[in-house]
Amino acid sequence: MWSFGRFVLQDLLRHPAPRSFSLTPAQHTVVVERWWQVPLSKVGSPPRLYPRRHRVYKMVEDTKHAPKEKMELILTQTVAKLGGRGDTVFVRKSVGRNKLLAQGLAVYPSPENQQMFAEELRLLREGKPDQRLQTRTGQLTVELLKRSKLNINKMPCDEFQLTKEVVCRQFDKKLGVVVPPHALSLPFEPIKDLGDYWCDVTVNGMDTVRIPMSLLPHEDQSAIYQKQLKAQRKLEAAERASQAAVEEDTVSDADQAHDGKDSLTSPGHTQQGSTPPPSEN
Amino acid sequence: MPLHKYPPKLWEALKLKQGIYARLPKYYLKSLEQKEPTPVHWRPLGVQYRANPKTGLKERVQDVPIPIYYPPQSQDGLWGGEGWITGYRYANNDKMSNRLKKTWKPQLLKRELYSEILDHKFSITVTPRTLELIDAAFGFDFYVLKTPKEDLNSKLGMDLKRAMLLRLARRDKELYPNDPVKRDTIYSKYKQFEIPEEEAEWVGLTLEEAVEKQRLLEHKEPEPQFKVLVEELVQELQMKKLSEPHVTEKK
Repeated sequence: MWSFGRFVLQDLLRHPAPRSFSLTPAQHTVVVERWWQVPLSKVGSPPRLYPRRHRVYKMVEDTKHAPKEKMELILTQTVAKLGGRGDTVFVRKSVGRNKLLAQGLAVYPSPENQQMFAEELRLLREGKPDQRLQTRTGQLTVELLKRSKLNINKMPCDEFQLTKEVVCRQFDKKLGVVVPPHALSLPFEPIKDLGDYWCDVTVNGMDTVRIPMSLLPHEDQSAIYQKQLKAQRKLEAAERASQAAVEEDTVSDADQAHDGKDSLTSPGHTQQGSTPPPSEN
Repeated sequence: MPLHKYPPKLWEALKLKQGIYARLPKYYLKSLEQKEPTPVHWRPLGVQYRANPKTGLKERVQDVPIPIYYPPQSQDGLWGGEGWITGYRYANNDKMSNRLKKTWKPQLLKRELYSEILDHKFSITVTPRTLELIDAAFGFDFYVLKTPKEDLNSKLGMDLKRAMLLRLARRDKELYPNDPVKRDTIYSKYKQFEIPEEEAEWVGLTLEEAVEKQRLLEHKEPEPQFKVLVEELVQELQMKKLSEPHVTEKK
């Protein structure tokens, strides 16, 4: 095929170039100025341009290299990772033009639009309870709360009791949810005994979620105690493994093995039970 | 000794003073006046006097526009006032070096732009600057309606403008035939641009188109001679009959 020296490059030449090839590359808006200063003309008369000099230009700026700015838009619908209806967002221009504006998910922040959406948001906040709508983040919070359960450990002090403030703090600590006291209703206040309870949380004054809550005995969270606990568990596991091996060797009755396991695990329970006494006292 | 009564440079301007050109509507003739477009490719000083940057003395300065070439295809798109800068540059940006030919051209993009007033999507050749201007005007319709002729600098843009203005002037029901509420909101949104229909019809026409329009407006079908003569004869006979004394015969 390559032996026909004359036609080697014919194939390449036959295909037209996929894109028009121009010597000047594509650029954004170019700003130029003259290399040579134009002599000052009399007032009212046009300046005299020297044809050879005054058409020599120097590129001052190409907006292609200007820093890319973001554009401001107002969302008309809920968009994932951006926000809900009426939110003002700053997005890259490509995203704004090709996605949000093209699909009608957002509008330009013209004065009329801004006024319209501000009015709408104000109605949502201050209107009657029937007209209000839950915001997108509010819905997400409700869903999170529906899935969650609150476990509270008792504190090692005598007059420990669960009050609204304590529960609010525990919400922030355990679930990362900020619950102001007026949004929380605690029916069994104050709680002193261990056990399972529940509380109601109202999100944005609209949706009320019932959250199961349990008060557990005190647990030492210090690193030293945790280390001890870990070592103990390891020891137990090793013991259990050796016991199992012994059982396999002797091929003893299942009931006996069960009894043995129970006897093994019980000390752990008693030990755990023995640690909290300071709180129970 | 002058060769002509008027110098040839004035002939184009004088042409508009006579014949059918003089009978064109005033608002159209006014729109033909050439105006300076907003500088796009150069930075105007914007002042008459300034302190000399070297000596600090006050001196008079003047803006000298850079000539821009608008190729014919710029009339079929919306280039946002951009065009080709044809000229020279110096090699290595060195004034003592060689002078090289150079043309700076804008980047052209094909974009689908939706017009609310016309309720149609147009595939238009635009530049990044046009897209910026559309964003700054809060919409395609606002950009086309707000931008004056010399800045739009496109036949397509002026045609779009005329179509939009005509629709606004006529307030026709073709726009969203099934949704009168939306139609009303759009007409009220662009109320500030409304002009009478007679004016809107002439927006953005070229001189040739305007002359043709005027000619068609003035045109009358020639009336055949025999019809005129027959009518005259009939009238004459009627007059004659009326002038004769009315005689009634007695039985």
